[in-house]
Amino acid sequence: MMWTDLYNNVLLFCMILLAFLTLIAIIRSVKGPRIADRIIAINMIGTMTIALICLLAIYLKEDYLLDVCLIYAMVSFLSVVVLARIFTGIYREKQMKKTQQAAEKDSPAASAVETPSEMVLETKSAHKAFANGEKGEQI
Amino acid sequence: MEMVKFIISLIFLVFGMFVFVSATLGVNRFDKALNRIHAAALGDTLGILFVVIGLLIWKGLTWASGKMLIIVLFFWLASPVCSHVLGLLELETNEEVQERKDLKEEHHENI
Repeated sequence: MMWTDLYNNVLLFCMILLAFLTLIAIIRSVKGPRIADRIIAINMIGTMTIALICLLAIYLKEDYLLDVCLIYAMVSFLSVVVLARIFTGIYREKQMKKTQQAAEKDSPAASAVETPSEMVLETKSAHKAFANGEKGEQI
Repeated sequence: MEMVKFIISLIFLVFGMFVFVSATLGVNRFDKALNRIHAAALGDTLGILFVVIGLLIWKGLTWASGKMLIIVLFFWLASPVCSHVLGLLELETNEEVQERKDLKEEHHENI
């Protein structure tokens, strides 16, 4: 019995430590200069929460918490992938607008038909694929 | 028997916590996003593996421990995908990284 009590104390200590680490990771997610930093920090918070729920399931002797854990892992993975795709699309849209404006400044008449630079064409096609919802190689 | 299980499980748990601490420190102290991905992926794979192994040794072989193994398996599949997608995001949106020609050509082939 003595070892069980001791082990529960160890689990409690681990959970408190993980909570502190989560707080430290939140600092990075607030400070992070780029959007990728924030997503990385959020992903790591998700991982530590899953470890915490595993510890809690053993501490409380409630096995159903592990199901929560599994669902949490799937939702966390999905959110990271979707957020990364969304921000890539937003960035491409911004780039396309910028190049279009530059082309209009240069030659207002010809800009509506086509833009000469190879890079512009590429971002345009990528944007079109993104807008149509294609799941091809482009995005 | 209890004591042996306790000690082995404690070692694994402490190592897992150490990995989590170093991952958090790495995410806070590295100065580029691509470096931070490396630190975060460490906690995603190694940290959760050692925490779960520690709990498995204490709990023994039950349905719950099978679920925990499934969690680790899912993480090993999902975490590299997360890192890859985040790396592509950083490569796409950061002009400093795009300056590097060697990365850029490969990037255009892959995307």
